[in-house]
Amino acid sequence: MVVVRPIRANDLAPLLALVRDTGVGLTTLPNNEGLLRGRIEASIATFSGTAEKADEQWVFVMEDTTQNKIVGICAIAGAVGLREPWYSYRVGTVVHASRELGIFTRTPTLFLSNDHTGASELCSLFLAPEYRVGRNGALLSKSRLMFMAQFRERFSPKVIAELRGVSDESGRSPFWESLGRHFFSMDFAEADYLTGIGKKSFVAELMPKHPLYSSFLSKEAQAVIGETHEMTRPARRLLEQEGFRFEGHVDIFDAGPALESDLVDIDAVQKSTTHAVAAVTEASADSASAAPLMLISNVHLAEFRVGLGRCQISDDNVVISADIAKALGVMVGDTVRVVALSPSERA
Amino acid sequence: MFVLRPAELTDLPQIESIAAKSAIGITSLPPDRDRLTDKITNSRYSFASEVDLPGEEAYFFVLENANTGEIVGTSGIAAAAGFHDRFYSYRNEIIVHASQELKVSNKIHALHLCHDLTGLSLLTSFYIDPTFVDSDLPDLLSRARLLYVAEQRQRFADKLAAENPGVCDAEGRSPFWDAVGRRFFNMDYPQAEQLSGGRSKTFIAELMPQYPIYVPLLPAAAKLAIGQLHPDGELPFSILMDEGFEADTYVDIFDGGPTVEARVETLRSVRLQRRMTVSTSLPNLAETIESGRAVMSIVANTKSEGFRATIAPVVIGTGSGVGNGSDHIGVSREVAVLIDVDDGDAVRVVPLDTANHHLTGATW
Repeated sequence: MVVVRPIRANDLAPLLALVRDTGVGLTTLPNNEGLLRGRIEASIATFSGTAEKADEQWVFVMEDTTQNKIVGICAIAGAVGLREPWYSYRVGTVVHASRELGIFTRTPTLFLSNDHTGASELCSLFLAPEYRVGRNGALLSKSRLMFMAQFRERFSPKVIAELRGVSDESGRSPFWESLGRHFFSMDFAEADYLTGIGKKSFVAELMPKHPLYSSFLSKEAQAVIGETHEMTRPARRLLEQEGFRFEGHVDIFDAGPALESDLVDIDAVQKSTTHAVAAVTEASADSASAAPLMLISNVHLAEFRVGLGRCQISDDNVVISADIAKALGVMVGDTVRVVALSPSERA
Repeated sequence: MFVLRPAELTDLPQIESIAAKSAIGITSLPPDRDRLTDKITNSRYSFASEVDLPGEEAYFFVLENANTGEIVGTSGIAAAAGFHDRFYSYRNEIIVHASQELKVSNKIHALHLCHDLTGLSLLTSFYIDPTFVDSDLPDLLSRARLLYVAEQRQRFADKLAAENPGVCDAEGRSPFWDAVGRRFFNMDYPQAEQLSGGRSKTFIAELMPQYPIYVPLLPAAAKLAIGQLHPDGELPFSILMDEGFEADTYVDIFDGGPTVEARVETLRSVRLQRRMTVSTSLPNLAETIESGRAVMSIVANTKSEGFRATIAPVVIGTGSGVGNGSDHIGVSREVAVLIDVDDGDAVRVVPLDTANHHLTGATW
């Protein structure tokens, strides 16, 4: 059984082992022990209520309870850009027109913006390759939405998720090559690493501040603005199913899209419901295959758990299987939050 | 002998054939009869008008071979650049992108669209017959304008500017235009200019990118063209450089050619010129001239409509004799007739070769 829960101090060593599998581009999860330890500490402080708003980091791990193994990580930043400026490019349009000259040109532009300042951010999603099967990826990604649904007052009205932009196998980003490199003589991988260790604003301060005409960039670079890395497309699809949309903000280094949604408009937040556990059945989660697969979470903060299972809902009550009850640490009479994993199966 | 004077409508046929020969980029000399007629008419009005502050006046000079009546060159001054509207240029700027934390400091070259030169007086319309490029006439053509400015300060701004043609190939293709303007126009520059129908460049400028252009993002050929002079513009440009014009700050928004600017008082000819009383009867005048001890100078009368300037040997008064002091200069009667002055009239004089004369020397 895999379950998603808040990160703990003793997760550091297994997490480091996991992170070594991470490629370039997952900027919020660099291979850096000090930094990971810091993030774990920040998360623990956040869950215990001692972190300042600007420092809130809700970090979760996915655990295979059968193997007692950490297999994935995901996080929510409470509010971005309150310590260091948060930069993105807003894709805009400038029209140059003259009726008399018969000229009408539409030029795409990139405006450096801090528009997402204060937004909550879904970040740091990483799943061990051998666990990229079944619905694990969906569980890991959407576990955060269940958490936000349960504790929505702790998050900002706007939620964003930055997705990795296009780069090749060697980590070369055509957007960076055409823009960033001119302003900052380093490889994308290095800029990306600096971003990951919290120096993004330093790098950003070396980037052009004035609006850019995209047409001055290489064709290759223009083509990847707002495009998602091939490996990240499934993650994008999951978020889009939940109502996240590309609203024209892209990463300043690789032009990967920032998806955004109002917290209350996120499908899982809107449609998940809480019920008292009426009974726990011995049947395993897989047996009642006629019912839709559900995201099921408890409603604890520090002991938050979310997993996948099937259940029967009647009015305020819900019947869940013993294995999910055990994984979530709930008993008859406790409250759980449930929503169909697939938005198409939601009421 | 050659004389620089305000253009007259009777000069139109000759000016028209000059305009047809002049390079792309000398937009102030359009090969179009109606526009040239307007230009001359406006110029005549400008020279004749009483002016307290520079406005829409545009002064247009022609260089005439006084013996034959042939016009061999033109030059002009627009009193206030972009008078009706704005005068656009790109300003070269260096933006330092630095991070102490990352120990990086990058200087980024950017072009900012600006109106800085709006209202400056603009030197325009320079053209010299190729036969005379190696003579003194280009100096007369360009610098006599400065004597007019010195005499008529109220007609002009405190600063002067001059556009210079940028690089382009034989077909008029400009690498700077291709990299910048073309993206917003989808047409060749000459075509865009033609489309604008002779209206001010402002008309086109409003369609140009308003945000700064980051030079590192431009193709190599366009980068090289920034501030680069078209070979055709070298002669007038070098005269302006010698005068002390500054060429590093502004470039033309269409072809990237250098737009030079300077304060009037700092210009070499303005600092060196003197206003003196003319005499055709100084003692030993003819002998001094013949012996080569006179100073070859640009000498101009102090009239507006009747402005005349030429190059001639002049003799500084010695303090004795008719002139009774060094405020007097002697010129030959022929020169006096050419520039339409009588004994006792004021003239503005500047030595042709400024390099060999000390700025403070009253006796240059």
